[in-house]
Amino acid sequence: MTREKLSGAEIVVEELKTEGVEVAFGIPGGVLLDLYDVLDREEAIRHILMRHEQCAAHAADGYARVLGKTGVCIATSGPGATNLVTGLTNANMDSSPVVALTGQVPTSVIGTNAFQEASTFTITMPITKHNFLVKRTEDLPKVIHNAFYIANTGRKGVVLVDLPKDILAGEAKVNLHPKETFAGYKPNIKPNQVQIKRVVEILAKAERPLILAGGGVISAGATEELRHLAEFLGAPVITTLMGKGAIPENHPFCLGMAGMHGQVYANRAINECDALLALGTRFSDRTTGWQLDQFAPDATLIQVDIDTAEINKNLPVDIPIVGDVKLALSAILALLAKKRKKKSESEWEKRIKKMHEACDSCVGDIPKEGASVSEILIKEISRILDDDAIVTTEVGQCQMFAAHYYMTRKPRTFISSGGLGTMGFGFPAAIGAKVAAPDKKVVDLAGDGSFLMTCQDLATCVENDIQVVVCIFDNRYLGMVRQWQELFYEKKYAQTGLGISPDFVKLAEAFGCYAERVEKPEELQDALNNAFDSGKPAVLDMIVGKEDKVLPMIPPGGSIIGMIGTERCKHI
Amino acid sequence: MQTHIISLLVEDHPGVLTRMSGMFTQRGINITSLTVSPCEKEGLSRMTVAIKGSESELEKVRKQISNLIEVIKVVNLGKKDAIVRDLCLLRVHVKDSGARSEVMQLAESYGAKIVDAALDSVTLELTEEPERINRFVDLMRHFGVKQLYRTGVTAIGIGAGLER
Ligand SMILES: Cc1cc2nc3c(=O)[nH]c(=O)nc-3n(C[C@H](O)[C@H](O)[C@H](O)COP(=O)(O)OP(=O)(O)OC[C@H]3O[C@@H](n4cnc5c(N)ncnc54)[C@H](O)[C@@H]3O)c2cc1C
Ligand SMILES: Cc1ncc(C[n+]2csc(CCOP(=O)(O)OP(=O)(O)O)c2C)c(N)n1
Repeated sequence: MTREKLSGAEIVVEELKTEGVEVAFGIPGGVLLDLYDVLDREEAIRHILMRHEQCAAHAADGYARVLGKTGVCIATSGPGATNLVTGLTNANMDSSPVVALTGQVPTSVIGTNAFQEASTFTITMPITKHNFLVKRTEDLPKVIHNAFYIANTGRKGVVLVDLPKDILAGEAKVNLHPKETFAGYKPNIKPNQVQIKRVVEILAKAERPLILAGGGVISAGATEELRHLAEFLGAPVITTLMGKGAIPENHPFCLGMAGMHGQVYANRAINECDALLALGTRFSDRTTGWQLDQFAPDATLIQVDIDTAEINKNLPVDIPIVGDVKLALSAILALLAKKRKKKSESEWEKRIKKMHEACDSCVGDIPKEGASVSEILIKEISRILDDDAIVTTEVGQCQMFAAHYYMTRKPRTFISSGGLGTMGFGFPAAIGAKVAAPDKKVVDLAGDGSFLMTCQDLATCVENDIQVVVCIFDNRYLGMVRQWQELFYEKKYAQTGLGISPDFVKLAEAFGCYAERVEKPEELQDALNNAFDSGKPAVLDMIVGKEDKVLPMIPPGGSIIGMIGTERCKHI
Repeated sequence: MQTHIISLLVEDHPGVLTRMSGMFTQRGINITSLTVSPCEKEGLSRMTVAIKGSESELEKVRKQISNLIEVIKVVNLGKKDAIVRDLCLLRVHVKDSGARSEVMQLAESYGAKIVDAALDSVTLELTEEPERINRFVDLMRHFGVKQLYRTGVTAIGIGAGLER
């Protein structure tokens, strides 16, 4: 640049480019005119105009989960920023790296209830990993650089930068691309070698070791190390919802997802193991059940987590390791290999193989006897999609059917709202996923209730040629809540019926999408092929059993071995 | 429930206090006292937070607070390894000269200073450990405490041990 000074907006865009940003999802507004003016001229960054800011945040989140790269979303002051809140909370809960840029009223009127003013800084404080309110144009380089550094290091998360109008419009002479970071931010990366030794001793002796893999394993890119360790130890691997994909679910040592809606045998393995190695998981109540004394009662508990605050938070552990799980696994593997040879097949391994064959998500495409339509459809989708295809989910039964019956074969291909459970997440996340991986098939497994919360962004798909396929599990109920009412509230379906509106096929067609109704599971294969071949974003309205239930499950207050609805599970 | 004192070294920015106190709010922990002031390093402040709660509860918030980007250091100050002080200003009612001399004697034995006097009151200042201040205030209640101001505790570790 030949000019002495740059405008704030120019500085922001320069720094975004330096951080490697290629895509941003957003909606402009009055206080962002300067930023958009510069952004629009910038060829290195593709801006995708969304139809709701919540979707911009979810799309950035979905993009980040597919690539591991920080997603970027942009919203204007006031309502734009408040619309982002759900999406940002969702991303932060699931430790997904997202940077949000929000416009703000000029510094001179902040705090005066100026037009479209909201205190974005205070509103987003508890829902972000960190946030900034920029007060001087010359601070922009350091702030933007650190926003990306903080979002995508340590325990990843959301960083929001609030940008007042005058800061973007004002000019300053700055040094671009600073390297300076903050003294108070030192992510724990390197695990302690003494702790590693202790863990190796336990693992080497364990007769029935078990590995619980969480979202941290995927985030750290430690899936290869995980597989090596499991094979070396002869240890089964179970996952959390967020860890789904950390190991290919058709791997003979995989026992699927554990927890409230998990696989019976994943939960049973927790009950039977004598050493539990928990990797990058925060032991949410959905994973542990509610009777903590019944969670792995005979096991030495080992927890590897990059966030000190997660150690002993929900579950007291015997040996904590604070640090990056990829580094920890490499260290454990190296030491273990020195200490002992790979054992011959143990009794435990034989049992695992049997359990694996009884695991719903691991056995592939054969629906079980007496399967519901929803179950058959997920199994069909699982069979039809290739290993690289990405599925996102909405929240509810559709999500748990997917967790239970969809066989995930690669990391970063199963994208779901875990911590917040945000209805409406799956579709915009699919948009982000498709933008991140245009050559992969991207399918949103959607409940009808959830899809209606964000379906306006079909327009975004059509306008930007983003060919995602939405598969609606159309039961005309807020199904998951209805299921609870059926099981625990004497079938009183209070406010969970969705009536008959809309006609999803017509709705999708009105937006310019391809659409088809799938009345019977046999029609799905053709419908999916039509959708993929249509050259358009597509919606399949799949009619499912109105009262399909996703079972087995741990009832509220129950323990990991107290699952109900296990009648159809194989007994071994 | 035990009182715990946490000493924080933080960046001197707007919002840091909200961020820090938000951690307690989220966990439903009541802050008993809080002091914020400049410290030996430019651009940084020191906060001293006293809370009541269990050891494990304290440990959980402490770790979450250390995660805050603007928090440089968190130290948990135990009773034994810290010097803890609170400053108290109180206005005591004195109904007659007898009461006045009694108040003054007690003040002297506690090391409290007389900072102001009026016909029917004396104003005292006492800088002490919070428990000793409590006792002093309790004594003064016999005479009638018209107004009571306390700064909340500030605390410093003993020796060099705590300053890593
Ligand atoms: C309707 C519904 C039902 C659900 N049912 C279940 C269920 O049955 N079972 C289940 O498990 N979940 C279920 N969930 C999801 C649940 O709410 C939680 O989101 C999930 O269990 C959390 O996954 P996680 O423990 O892997 O942690 P995440 O939220 O993925 O957190 C990752 C953890 O790894 C750590 N970490 C991050 N990066 C690293 C690194 N590089 N190195 C080391 N550590 C790292 C983080 O500090 C954190 O502790 C359900 C959700 C919904 C909405
Ligand atoms: C934004 C939001 N509001 C409410 C809920 C509570 N909730 C959880 S599941 C569910 C029903 C979801 O219904 P639908 O999307 O139709 O999926 P289904 O369970 O029928 O598969 C509701 C209302 C939620 N998770 N998110």
